Amino acid sequence: MWAWTKVLASRIGGWLGMRRVDEEFRQELDAHLELLTEENVRRGMNREEARRAARLKLGGATQLREANRELRGLPLLETLVRDVRFAFRMLRKNLSFTAIAVMTLALGIGANTAIFSLVNGVLLRPLSYRQPERLYVIREIVPQWAKSVPLLAANLPDFQIWQKECRSFEQLSLAEALEVDLSGAGEADEIYGMRASANLLDLLGQSPALGRTFLADEDQAGHDRVVILTDGFWRSRFHGDPEIIGRTITLDGEPHVVVGVLPASFHFPKTIASNTFERIDFLKPLGGARFYEQDLIGEFDFVAIGRLKEGVTAAQALSELNIVQAAIAKQANENVDLSAVLLPLEPEIVGPARKGLVLLLAAVGAVLLMVCVNLANLLLARAPSRMREAAIRNALGAGPRRLLRQMLTESFLLALIGGACGTTLAYLGVRALVDSAPIDLPRLDEVSTDGRVLCFAVVLSGLVGCLFGILPASRVSRADPQEALKAGATTTTEGQHARQIRQSLIGVEVGLCTALLILAGLLVSSLFHVIRVSPGFGVEHVLAASVDLPPQGYAQVDARAHFYDRILRELQTTPGVESVGWVTLLPLEGQGSVTGISLPGAQDRPNEALHANYRAVSGDYFRTMGIPLVEGRFFNDNDRGKRVVIVSRGLAARLWPGTSPVGRKCVAEWGQLRDSEVIGVVGDIRTISLEAPPLPMVYVPDSYGQETPGAPGFASIVVRTAGDPDAVAGSVRSIIQNADPNVPIVALRPMTEVVSQTLEARRFQTILAGLFAACALLLASLGVYGVVSYNVERRSIELGIRLVLGAGYGKLLGLILRQGMVPVALGLAGGIVVAAAGARFIQTFLFGVGAFDPLTFAGVAAIVTAVAAAACYLPARRTLRLDPMAALRYE
Amino acid sequence: MGEGKSEILQGTLDLMVLKTLEAMGPLHGYGIARRIEQISEEALQINQGTIYASLVRLMQRGWISGAWGASENNRKAKFYSITKSGRKRLAAEAENWERISGVIGRVLRIAERG
Repeated sequence: MWAWTKVLASRIGGWLGMRRVDEEFRQELDAHLELLTEENVRRGMNREEARRAARLKLGGATQLREANRELRGLPLLETLVRDVRFAFRMLRKNLSFTAIAVMTLALGIGANTAIFSLVNGVLLRPLSYRQPERLYVIREIVPQWAKSVPLLAANLPDFQIWQKECRSFEQLSLAEALEVDLSGAGEADEIYGMRASANLLDLLGQSPALGRTFLADEDQAGHDRVVILTDGFWRSRFHGDPEIIGRTITLDGEPHVVVGVLPASFHFPKTIASNTFERIDFLKPLGGARFYEQDLIGEFDFVAIGRLKEGVTAAQALSELNIVQAAIAKQANENVDLSAVLLPLEPEIVGPARKGLVLLLAAVGAVLLMVCVNLANLLLARAPSRMREAAIRNALGAGPRRLLRQMLTESFLLALIGGACGTTLAYLGVRALVDSAPIDLPRLDEVSTDGRVLCFAVVLSGLVGCLFGILPASRVSRADPQEALKAGATTTTEGQHARQIRQSLIGVEVGLCTALLILAGLLVSSLFHVIRVSPGFGVEHVLAASVDLPPQGYAQVDARAHFYDRILRELQTTPGVESVGWVTLLPLEGQGSVTGISLPGAQDRPNEALHANYRAVSGDYFRTMGIPLVEGRFFNDNDRGKRVVIVSRGLAARLWPGTSPVGRKCVAEWGQLRDSEVIGVVGDIRTISLEAPPLPMVYVPDSYGQETPGAPGFASIVVRTAGDPDAVAGSVRSIIQNADPNVPIVALRPMTEVVSQTLEARRFQTILAGLFAACALLLASLGVYGVVSYNVERRSIELGIRLVLGAGYGKLLGLILRQGMVPVALGLAGGIVVAAAGARFIQTFLFGVGAFDPLTFAGVAAIVTAVAAAACYLPARRTLRLDPMAALRYE
Repeated sequence: MGEGKSEILQGTLDLMVLKTLEAMGPLHGYGIARRIEQISEEALQINQGTIYASLVRLMQRGWISGAWGASENNRKAKFYSITKSGRKRLAAEAENWERISGVIGRVLRIAERG
């Protein structure tokens, strides 16, 4: 090892002082030759003979000096430097080619690197927790409800029993997403956080950067007035104040002491806690079970995470857990069973995003492959002119391997320059990508261009350089000096082999482009289908303001009802407002208040209960939202506090098939009320997203029953406007703030935006896929154009002769088109096969179209054919328009 | 290396050069080549130029050192001499060589008796 470094040092020294080394060696050889000659003379040769014999004995001086140089210097580096210098000269000589190549490479490599950053951050980088493979999410199952809700989040009393009974877990933690009002400083602010077991940080293997973690007794009721802030929130809200520990902040009107600040590296998978949070600002301890969290069956609201004990398998832990669950069900005595599942944490976080990201990576990879094919074709087209040069070098003694190396150096250099530009692009692009990505993409906050991404870019550039360089390089390096140096070699028709290579490359390119276009086409078509889905309400001219009443001053139902009444009354008289109402949870904002509804007398048979989403609404909600009345009537002011419900059409059809439910009794379990009367049926709405089929809905008047739900603490006020809803937004905001400045407005946006938000993920994916497909089409058409124009240019003399000899213009055009379109047709067929295979993979992303949608397939085939035909026609026409005599004179 | 001359393994030549320098003291390239030919009683005909590759290798490893001086006919020539680490290396290599040649000899004898 030591000797090796000494050799290298000596070689570097030799390389630096090569001129001197060379000169000394020449002197040494001269002396040697002289001594040999003298000896030969002593042996009786004459001077001339002696010198000749001495030269023979010593060996060729030039070869010896060459060998000495290679031994003393750094031959590999030297040839590399020479090759790179030469490659630079060649690239500078063909500036337009270099610019095009670098630009396409930069785009191709940049796009790949950017998408890879996303994949790296979301899928590849391991969760930054201690031994994440032993972390599992626990979800509960009530088999009797499995049809409508297969998996439930965890329930707090159940969790407390697991903590006592389950021996398979080292630790168990519970967390719940929480929105609270931060007040005291300026405008009331809604902040996001988690209410979590005191040991959550410990379970994840994280510790605060400042201050301390929660103490075990802070999980108890009354001891929970402490918070730990996230790094981002601490910096943005408190300017990174190092004195923050021990300070008191007011959350929901209650003073809380800041006991810690989390490190910047802390990430909690927000998708696990809540899909709608953009960030997490703080953690606070569980603080015991609230009054409504006492039931063993019900309020399944928490995410439960367990860390398995060393040596315990998930299956063992689950069987133990299920024994405990069975005991809980028995204790609860509610006529239902209870079980659980253990889901590995990591797939639970990133699982839903995996397929989409892999799809994007594949699409962008295909685009890069096409960039390579195009460049390979460009280089191949330039090969004949390089052949002469290569042939001369070959004749001068450069072997094929030496030539190959030099040609490859050129393409590597191109790829590296392109890669460097591309990486810069990706670095800038990742931010934009993250900003435009849907917020429900998990671990988005962890996406960045790290070392692995850089490695990826470098390796990718090298690979790309090799890929597009190897074919042209191997062709040029095998140049036959005899052939290439013949006079007028450039005008001879090209070998069959070279043409076949280029044709098949075009075929590959068209195939990739077709496959991408079809897949993107299916996604675009799905997006249009989703957009066309009627949400079941009037989207236009509706503004929604979501408010969250703080517990202070609004603990009583009456206070809440009074607040809403006042807002509605004032809004009604606002100019531009047609009608107003409120609802506990807007359509498309997901499920909430899911509870059973059944016919009277059926409640003892829980299997027959239907699960519905319950919404408390004000009287004018349906009119404002544009939800149509099917039969019966809407709520009016007299319905307050009465046991009346309005059901959705789908629910009516399932519970009272074939008959009208109006006037019938039902058992609505929300609020535990036995007999309620159905007074109306309204149209179905989309509850979760435009794509999910409508769910059964039950609407209840505000103050339904006594306490629950009463007027809710969280509601969305909806306003139907005559004109642009945004024009009224200002008045809505000031009316709410005038009513009570301590009530935070969580969101204020037109319903069109709510609809648009549910399309975010799909649109993001579709736009990217469409963008890649458009690039692919552009690249393919450029490829076809390049090859055909090259072909006809080479054959311009032949074509000229044919024209002179009387071949018709149309006939020659047909000939060129036929020759150009053969690889296109083959590629098209191949691409359709690939797309058919790939379409099955993306089936889950499709909506309203089949994976083998004939319209998309045929449309793409038509587009590709038309574009390729145009790409063939343009150069053909240009060449055939030329005066044949001019072409011939060119000879 | 031309035809008709016995090919010498690279390492073997290095070993011979080292041994020659140890035995003879400082020598120039010609002297070393000549000496090896004499010792082998002209059985080993080396292309004298190859000695220089060996000398470079040994210099690079620090086993020999070179200095300019005057030759017998009063010409400027480079004289090589063995260094301390070169002597150590030579001892180790020589022992190694003895062992290997012993083993090879035994193997060949066994094969003959076969």
